[in-house]
Amino acid sequence: MATKYGGYTGKVLLIDLTSTTAKLYPWSDQERKRYIGGKTMAAKILGDQLPKDTDPLSEENMLVITTGPFTGSGVPSSSRFNISTLSPQTGILTSSNCGGNFGYYLKKAGFDALIIKGRSEKPVWLEIYNQSVTVHSASKLWGMHTSKVQETLDEKLKTTNGKHRKSGKIVIGPAGENLVRYACIASNERLAGRGGTGAVMGSKNLKAVTASGTHTVKVHDKKALDKLNRKWFRYLKKHPLTGDQLPRLGTAGLVSTMQMRGQLATRNYQYGQFNDYEKVNGETLAETFHIGNKGCLSCPIKCARTVEIDGKAVKGPELETLGLLGGGILNNDMNHILRWNYELDELGMDTISAANTIAYAMEANEKGLWDNDLQFGQVSEISQLWEDIALRRGIGDELANGSKWLSEKYGGKEFAIHSKGMELAAYEPRRTVGLGLGYAVSNRGGCHLNGGYMVLLEGLSMNVDQQNPHGKPDLTVIFQDLMEATSACGQCLFTTYAFFPPPLIRNPNSWYTKAFCKAVPHLGPVLRLVNKFPEMLCFHLPVIFNQSKALNLVTGMPSSFGRFIKAGKRGYTLERYINTGFGISRKDDSLPERLTRIPQIEGDETTKVPLEKMKNVYYAARGWSHDGIPTAKTLQKLGLSELTKQINQESET
Amino acid sequence: MVLIKLFGTLRLKTGCKHATAEITHVKEACDILAAKTGLSPKEFKKCVIAINGKPSNFHASLQDGDELAFFSPSGGG
Repeated sequence: MATKYGGYTGKVLLIDLTSTTAKLYPWSDQERKRYIGGKTMAAKILGDQLPKDTDPLSEENMLVITTGPFTGSGVPSSSRFNISTLSPQTGILTSSNCGGNFGYYLKKAGFDALIIKGRSEKPVWLEIYNQSVTVHSASKLWGMHTSKVQETLDEKLKTTNGKHRKSGKIVIGPAGENLVRYACIASNERLAGRGGTGAVMGSKNLKAVTASGTHTVKVHDKKALDKLNRKWFRYLKKHPLTGDQLPRLGTAGLVSTMQMRGQLATRNYQYGQFNDYEKVNGETLAETFHIGNKGCLSCPIKCARTVEIDGKAVKGPELETLGLLGGGILNNDMNHILRWNYELDELGMDTISAANTIAYAMEANEKGLWDNDLQFGQVSEISQLWEDIALRRGIGDELANGSKWLSEKYGGKEFAIHSKGMELAAYEPRRTVGLGLGYAVSNRGGCHLNGGYMVLLEGLSMNVDQQNPHGKPDLTVIFQDLMEATSACGQCLFTTYAFFPPPLIRNPNSWYTKAFCKAVPHLGPVLRLVNKFPEMLCFHLPVIFNQSKALNLVTGMPSSFGRFIKAGKRGYTLERYINTGFGISRKDDSLPERLTRIPQIEGDETTKVPLEKMKNVYYAARGWSHDGIPTAKTLQKLGLSELTKQINQESET
Repeated sequence: MVLIKLFGTLRLKTGCKHATAEITHVKEACDILAAKTGLSPKEFKKCVIAINGKPSNFHASLQDGDELAFFSPSGGG
């Protein structure tokens, strides 16, 4: 089970809660080289292990918690870990990436990844310490909020060992226990927020996992890695986005720009601008409520906000939460958002899905489809509503199922703002059409990051034409692949924002930035060539994208920028192929009609998402069929030949 | 009278949220902000600008009652 590669412990632990047994899961160096780690590794494990008819909340489902080779290696912003499972929100693969420190401590405990299957009869928590696992009763922890349970576990670890032991934890709150379909998993104040991973943990009667130990992981070429890291840290700290905007304003700093670009989802995505945005933007948060920055281990960016609630310093809201719990439901009171963000974290619920679900409910009530008393702008009872959802009381029991489920029951599918069952982020896609495509084709459902984050070009950092679909599908493919591989390495995606050289960002009115923005949509043919033959980029991109070189220095694997893109492409296609086994095809790469049929600006037909047209180009760029299924040739080209064999077997039967 | 607003990190660095001025062209606003904050007008010429909530450019003219916004670089989330 040992590995020749640096950056890995070489061990993957499989725990069966039904039989309370644990064993090592076979994972070879060939698989490490092919799938790297993180979400890609998790997809491969789930694809191999999950039967096609698995119920996400059954004991057959698995939680796969993975790190990447960068996790704990000293590479900037590399304390990320990933949680993948079959989502109770979408019924397909989901992957949720989290900061905090659990990934680092899982490696200290001696494991690269943890697979949890089965179901305990009674609530339990798992203690993983130096390659040993102990199952503890969690009956006294059940019902606790996410911060309280972590504090209690700290005390327990202290007591059982007689001294304080540093550990990483993942826990669920009441929402996960009660199987809210968008319940999340918390680690410190960070959340694996999307896709309902918390509900899967709750369905297994698993309240928490702690990891700790003294294991160390060697890297392949420490001296060269240290040298690269020093330069990389300096570059990230100097870059206007990672060294200035994110540390000073956090992601919240985007609200004002999105407002200006017409991208701030307002009143359940009816509009792209919110009249009261200045009361709930990043500047107001920074000037009036912000008391400090926080960051993950080894991160120079430190994007997290700290604010005060009831005399306690707690994590402040991200952009998504500000946007969707602000303009999304017509709330203009920042105090409410800070409190709700804290409450949702404590109950263990995804703020994006929670916000969009109540926005749907408000509109359904307004349109007479569902008499539920919820109204846009009437927000005094929302705190109570969060608790009702988490405990599945009253209308909370239905709201806990999300907007897709509600629209199937009450109608109004055209304004249930989700894709594949996952609610969209705060960017209104009719004014960032490339991201509109991304939301629709994203493997885990309506996710901006998994969707390629085209909005970065379409108005946030660059001024590429927001409404023109030209070139966007090929750009989306390449951005998705780069982010997929970065995530597989265990690194924060925010480091990829430094891909654009500082002069382009600092001087948006310069001739060269304007020329760049004009040229980008016309790079389609060049990008198509890269997408088809990534190996031809057999070099590392200096300064702006260090990930491929770092992968070589950490692991010793052969690497180049092209190989890195190909690894991302392999991961993305693998996830897609697995999802096709759960019934996903072209018909599911969709957006609600509000976004594809009704222009955001009346009379301006460009202000809607021309989705079907872009999908055709996107599938061609990906080497997928017209119906959105990866072809056997594409699978083979990406080294997924065992999947090709499966295709052949299936077609023979 | 034109209301000039500042957004992004430039606002946090200077502490200047807004200013009012009798101006008819966007370029004049850079000098107003420079005088108010002590920074060079060049710093403001690097910003993305919007007039009445819509993206615009430095050659635009202004009307009485317009709202002119300056945005320093933003990134991702």
